[in-house]
Amino acid sequence: MTYATKSPWVIHYDGSSCNGCDIEVLAALCPGYDVERFGIINTGNPKHADVFLVTGSVNEQNIGVVQEIYNQMVEPKVVVACGICACSAGIFHDCYNVIGGVDKAIPVDVYAPGCAVRPEAIIDAVVQAIGILDEKSRALAAQKKGA
Amino acid sequence: MGLQTEFLPLSVDALPAFAADRKREGWRFVQLLAVRTDAGCDLVYSFMKDGLLENHVVEGVTKETPVPSITDQFLAAFVFENEAHDLFGIDIRDIAIDFGGKFYQLAQSEPMTIISPAQKAARDKAAKAAAAKAAKERSAQGEAAGAGGTAGGAEDLEAKLSGMDPEKAAKVRAAMEAKAKKEAAAKQAAVDEKVAALDPEKAAKVKAALAAKAAREKAKREQDGAPEGADGAEAAAQPADADGAASPAQGAPAAVEGEGE
Amino acid sequence: MGKATVIPFGPQHPVLPEPLHLDLVVEDETVIEAVPQIGFVHRGLEKLVETRDYNQFIYVAERICGICAFGHSMGYAETVERLMGVEIPRRAEYLRVIWHELSRVHSHILWMGLAADAFGYESLFMHCWRLRERVLDIFEKTTGGRVIFSVVKVGGVVRDIDAAQMAEIKRVLEGIKEDYRQICDAFLKDSSVKNRTVGVGHISHEDALAKSMVGPFARASNVNWDVRMLGNGGYGELSDFQPVLDTQGDCYARVKVRALEVLQSIEIIEEMMAKIPAGDIAVPVKGSPAAGAQAANVVEQPRGECYYYARGNGTKYLERMRMRTPTSQNLAGMATALAGCDLADVNMIVLTIDPCISCTER
Repeated sequence: MTYATKSPWVIHYDGSSCNGCDIEVLAALCPGYDVERFGIINTGNPKHADVFLVTGSVNEQNIGVVQEIYNQMVEPKVVVACGICACSAGIFHDCYNVIGGVDKAIPVDVYAPGCAVRPEAIIDAVVQAIGILDEKSRALAAQKKGA
Repeated sequence: MGLQTEFLPLSVDALPAFAADRKREGWRFVQLLAVRTDAGCDLVYSFMKDGLLENHVVEGVTKETPVPSITDQFLAAFVFENEAHDLFGIDIRDIAIDFGGKFYQLAQSEPMTIISPAQKAARDKAAKAAAAKAAKERSAQGEAAGAGGTAGGAEDLEAKLSGMDPEKAAKVRAAMEAKAKKEAAAKQAAVDEKVAALDPEKAAKVKAALAAKAAREKAKREQDGAPEGADGAEAAAQPADADGAASPAQGAPAAVEGEGE
Repeated sequence: MGKATVIPFGPQHPVLPEPLHLDLVVEDETVIEAVPQIGFVHRGLEKLVETRDYNQFIYVAERICGICAFGHSMGYAETVERLMGVEIPRRAEYLRVIWHELSRVHSHILWMGLAADAFGYESLFMHCWRLRERVLDIFEKTTGGRVIFSVVKVGGVVRDIDAAQMAEIKRVLEGIKEDYRQICDAFLKDSSVKNRTVGVGHISHEDALAKSMVGPFARASNVNWDVRMLGNGGYGELSDFQPVLDTQGDCYARVKVRALEVLQSIEIIEEMMAKIPAGDIAVPVKGSPAAGAQAANVVEQPRGECYYYARGNGTKYLERMRMRTPTSQNLAGMATALAGCDLADVNMIVLTIDPCISCTER
C-alpha cells in the first residue's frame, strides 16, 4: 500500500463500452464504495486530472478521442483500463470495428479486468495507479534536478 | 392478448405510396432493417397499430436499386436509412438528414456484406452437412422404395457397376479412368512446375525420387490387377537415374509437398 | 443581432456517461439547431451471429448495454423462442418479469441520479445511487452479478429464486419504497428543481406522434403506448396494467413519468412474487432454426420499446439478428426538443431522453 502525496483527480471516458463498467466507475464514486473519502474527485477537464479511467474496446471513431484526451493530460499521469473490454476487447475481439483494447491507442499502466468490473476492483486499480503516479512524479522531479 | 406479428411482401416501387398510406391511417413506424441474402439484400419495414406488428419485406435489393426514403413521412427513419447505407451499401435517395456515408466511421466499408473466410468455411461446412443429411434421408427413402441409391463410397460404386449391363459398365469405367488420368496429369503438371522452380541439383534428386515412387506404385498396381493407365503419364515424364539417387532423395517428395503448403 | 456559432458538445462531457456528439448551432445563447453525430460506440456486434451460435449469442446480446442488459437478453431469448416455436414454462416467464422490472427500477433510479447531476443537485445524485445499491444487492444475491447477470437462456432461465429469497426481496423493496418517496418529493415538489425543468424542452403530442417516439419520453407527451399493455409473456398474467402518462410534455413531465414508473414496477414485482406458480424453470431446446424462418418481437425496456428480429438459415448460427433500440427511434425527437432551447439547458434535455448510445449503435 503506497501513500499518495496528494488526492488524485480522475477523468473518465467511455471508449465504446456497453456502459456496464462506466456505471460501476460512477458507483465507485457514490455512497457504498465512496472513493471521495480518499480525496478522489471526478472531473471533466483533462488538464485537471491525474488518472484516466478508460472503459470499452475502442472503435475506429473513438481512437482519436481517446488519444486527444490522453495528450491533453499533463505529466505525471496514469491510465487505468477498467473492464475486460478495455484490457483486451473481451467478447468483442473479433468485431470488425473494434481495435482490441485501449493499449492499442494509448499506453496503459494498470489493467482491471471484469465484466463488468467490480467497484472493489476499480478501487484496487486506482490505489495501484496512485503508487505508479508517485514513482512517475519522483522520476520527473529527479529528471528536472539532473537537467 | 399477446403480440401478433405478420410478415408481408412489398415492392420498392410501391414504397412511397405505402408509407403515405400508413401515415394517414395512423400507423406508427417501428423500424427499418436490412438482411444480406444471396440475391442482394432484403429490407424489412415495420409498422405497428393496436397490437399488430406488420413487417413488410422488400426482397432482392441490390446496390444498383435506388430505394426512395420514407423520411418525408416518418422523420425517425433517417437513423436506420443512414445505417443501412453505411453497413450494407444500399442506395437510399432523399434522406432528410443525410450523413453521406459518414454516419458511422467504420474500419471496413459495408461490413455486413463481407463474409470472412472462416465464417464462409463454417457456413459451407454446415451446408454440406445439411445436404449430406438430406441426401442420406433421400437414399434411405430410395432404398426403402427399391430404386438405386445416391453415390456412396467406392464399394457402392463397384456394386452399382457390377449391377449395370456390361457395355454401360465398361463405358462408365472408361470415363472414370479418363478422369483419373486427367487428374493425375494435372497433378503431375503441378509437381513439374514446383520442381522447375527448385535449383537443378535438388530438382534432379526430386525427379529421381518421384520416378522411384512411380515405379513402386506401378508394380503394386500390376500386382493388384487394376488396368494400367494413370501412371503411364508419370513414368513417361521422368528422366533416368532412378537407382543411384533413390534412397537419399526419399525425403525430397515430402519436401516438395511441404513447400507447397 | 447575434451571429450563428457552432459549438461542439461531447463526446467527452462530465454529464454524459456515453459518447455522443452534437453540433449545436447557437445564436447568442439560444440553440437554433442540433445535429447529432453518433458512431462512437459502434462495435458491429450484429455480425457476431456468424461466429456465435444462437445459444452463445445471448452473452453478446446482454453486453449490448450494461444498463438494459437483462432486457436485451430477455428480448433476444424470446425472439429465438418465437423463431423456433419453443414455449417456456410459466414459472420462467414470471421470473423473467421479476428480474426485468427490477432492472427497470434500477435503471430509472440511475437515470434520476444523473438527471439531478445535470441540473446541479449533486447530493440528490448521491442519494439516488445509494438507494440503487440496494437493488444491485438483490441482483447479486439472486444472480451473482451486479450489472451483467447471464441468467436467461433460450428455453427459460438458468437460476431460480426460492421462497426465502422472495421474502428478502419483498422486505428490501418495502424499505426502498419509504426512502424513494422522499427522493420523489425532492424531484417533484422542490421549487428549485421545478424552476429548472418546467417548460424546458417541450414536445407536443402531435410532434411526438409524428417523430414516432417511444418510451417514457413519449408517454410524457401523452402518447398512450407501452409494450406491456400487449401482455407478452409473463406480462399477460398481470391483473391490470395502465401506462403512466403525462400531458405536459416537458422535462418535468419526463421526470414525473419515470418516478411514477418505479413505484408501478415495485407493485408489479410484488404481484408477480405473490402469484408465481411452482414448476420447471427451463425446457431443453434442440435443433436449429429453420432456413428462411423469421421472427419479430417487441419488449418494453426502461427506455422504451425495443424491437428484435431474427432470421434462421438452417444451421445453428442465425442468419441475422437485429435489435432496434428505443434511443435510435428517439433521436429525431431529441433534435426537435433541442431546437429553441437555452445553451445551458442542453445537458438536461439530452439526458431526459435517457440516451443509451451503446444500445443504439451496437
